[in-house]
Amino acid sequence: MRILIATTQVPFTSGGAEIHADQLRNALIAAGHEAEIVSVPFKWYPPERILDHILANRLLDLSESNGVSIDRMIGLRFPAYLIPHPNKVVWILHQFRTAYDLWDTPYNDLIHYPNGLQIREAIRRADRQFIPEAKAVFANSRNVAKRLRRFCGIESTPLYHPPQNAEHFHVSEAEDYLFYPSRLDPLKRQALVLEALALTHLPVRVCFAGIPDAPAYASELKDLARKKQVHHRVEWLGFVSEEEKRRYYSRARAVVFPPLDEDYGYVTLEAMLSSKPVITCTDSGGPLEFIRHEETGLISEPTPSALADAFDRIWDNPKTAKSWGEAGRELYDSMDITWSNVTERLLA
Amino acid sequence: MKLNWFSPLPPARTDIAHYTKRILPALQEQFEVMLWTDQAQWNSELEKNSDIRHYHCEQMPWVQLNQADLTVFNIGNNSDFHSSIWQVSQQHSGIVILHDFRLQHFFAGLYRDQWEDREGYMEKMEFYYGKVGREAAYEFWYGNLSVEHMSEHYPLTHLSLENALGIIVHSRKNLQELRREHRWPVSYIPLPYPAVERSTIARIMKPPYRLIVFGYIGQNRRLDEIFEALAVFKQRERFHLDVYGELWDRSWVYNRIRSLGIKHLITLHGFVSEKSLDKALSIAHLAFNLRYPDMGEASGSQLRIWDHALPSLVTKGGWYEDISEEAVAFVHPGHEIADIQAHLASFLDNPARFAKMGENGRQILEKYHSPGVYAKAIAAFVANMNVFLSHADTQYLVSRVGAEMSYYTSEEMPDEVLRKAAQEIYLMAVGEGK
Repeated sequence: MRILIATTQVPFTSGGAEIHADQLRNALIAAGHEAEIVSVPFKWYPPERILDHILANRLLDLSESNGVSIDRMIGLRFPAYLIPHPNKVVWILHQFRTAYDLWDTPYNDLIHYPNGLQIREAIRRADRQFIPEAKAVFANSRNVAKRLRRFCGIESTPLYHPPQNAEHFHVSEAEDYLFYPSRLDPLKRQALVLEALALTHLPVRVCFAGIPDAPAYASELKDLARKKQVHHRVEWLGFVSEEEKRRYYSRARAVVFPPLDEDYGYVTLEAMLSSKPVITCTDSGGPLEFIRHEETGLISEPTPSALADAFDRIWDNPKTAKSWGEAGRELYDSMDITWSNVTERLLA
Repeated sequence: MKLNWFSPLPPARTDIAHYTKRILPALQEQFEVMLWTDQAQWNSELEKNSDIRHYHCEQMPWVQLNQADLTVFNIGNNSDFHSSIWQVSQQHSGIVILHDFRLQHFFAGLYRDQWEDREGYMEKMEFYYGKVGREAAYEFWYGNLSVEHMSEHYPLTHLSLENALGIIVHSRKNLQELRREHRWPVSYIPLPYPAVERSTIARIMKPPYRLIVFGYIGQNRRLDEIFEALAVFKQRERFHLDVYGELWDRSWVYNRIRSLGIKHLITLHGFVSEKSLDKALSIAHLAFNLRYPDMGEASGSQLRIWDHALPSLVTKGGWYEDISEEAVAFVHPGHEIADIQAHLASFLDNPARFAKMGENGRQILEKYHSPGVYAKAIAAFVANMNVFLSHADTQYLVSRVGAEMSYYTSEEMPDEVLRKAAQEIYLMAVGEGK
């Protein structure tokens, strides 16, 4: 088959979504298909630009190229997944969240605009109207599927995929640190981790890997660490290579990942692949689809004191932590989180 | 449904403030209402049952505004009360309740008196009326044309509606005018006024019969014609005219009364409390509610007159056009003096007929103008919000596409592209309502 993967590009920005599209393309090629990524540039501000982009995507014709049919289109991100195609499948990484679950939160920019409400409704209308055009609708996780049902009344099938370089994650002897690899962002709640660290009874240490979306945020976090007097128990690794990241995973006592309502959460899977337990929170979204409390990790209330207790518990019970980590790896292996499963479902 | 409601509030000296106060209880039965005002003060009574949010239009708290499901903007002709409301409405789409159709007074007040923005005003006039409009704007700016002339020929209604999702009007004529454009969803809902239980003590039917004029009295209220009619009316001594409210030029009015020799027949009361005005209406025998040129507004004053079962003389035209002659006596533009005199003579001849006219007006008020009916009608109209929003998005996209298309000069500009764009815009607009 000739398959196009339609996604969105924010110029000069690259992250999990780009990796996801690349991996999907590679998996499709490995399965014997011709596959290419079509990235449509996207700018979401001022809000009325979103209407322009919806229309622009709707006007694209990807039914064929150079006189030859494109057999399938797989739409991944808003508004690229609105592009029409007679044989479209949508695999939603996440919708435009500021129009949905993030609307009434401090993480929303759309609500600050005079026409924010009008554009929010336009986004919802477009999703409700055009997503069902697809032959099948998949979601990155149960969490994303839940949002799609809740806000748009659209049913979708959760479809998990492996993180990048899944086969290279490994386990080593645990050292004395918890590992938190993620871009530095309020939604990822590194600040909550620092607040929790200040309340632990034991000398828990945390290594943060990742760079901030907004540079000032890194300074904010470091200031917080100093203010909470935990700076000596924190290491800011900044950007790390994939190989370094895997090494840190392999030697961690556990992985900390308490984001707010995460769509999916590669970190969870990477931890499981590294046979490490995961500490997450009850409102963390995607990670909860994989972590079993007191079997493969700990699920804590999203408060500093509850998280501190979880940190202490892991810190104080290294053998238990190790067995939970091993159980996490077994669970991962049992879930058929493979690209062959993904391609089979998307092309069915 | 959470509703933002932008309106002047009491004690602002505009009937639209009173209108909001009157309908608020009924609105609150249909919506969760947040009142928005730029006034420094408002009647504290309103706070008993409503949330009130103060704002400056230069620093709008969009986050709070966007928390509601819908915003309503009450637009009237006085820039003192509606300037901020209109400015917010130009940025945040909502339903516009158009209290006046001709809004030249408003925009002249805004651009000329408040902003002193001649070029801005002329640009708008040119945008809507072409070069002729621009020239008229120039002449008006320098006092060579009256605001009445401008209002008659260049009402600037559309300038108040550019960002409207939907429009509510209080007159059928305005409904028809706007519907002709096929641009906005429009609904006609009769202006509300709660009929109040009134004392059944009959008016004392003996001279001097009390004539009454009230409200914000501009030149369009035809006060000069009333004075002239009274001045030469043979049986003028059997009447006394009470004038309540602010006058556009008190000294001109005073001098006019003196020059006509009717000072003893007229009392200028100025602005009085609502209670005092009600008392005056309850003892009056005949009201004058003349307006020419009219601003296309429905008349809260007329409803108040009917609430007192008071007969009235009104100018034929505008909102009054469709009122039954059983409920009002008509005066025709250009024939005011003769018509007024004829009605005064008729009143003296058969005061019972005029009393019945007042009662008929009261019945119309009770049947068609209840705030409960009004609020329910608003609720029914805004139930179609999704349609309104998609309509607005369509307008925006059509403009965008049109702007892009303007770069193409060839006639062979792909119709296919236009067709596809139109189709996609339609689909985006239809949404789940398909």
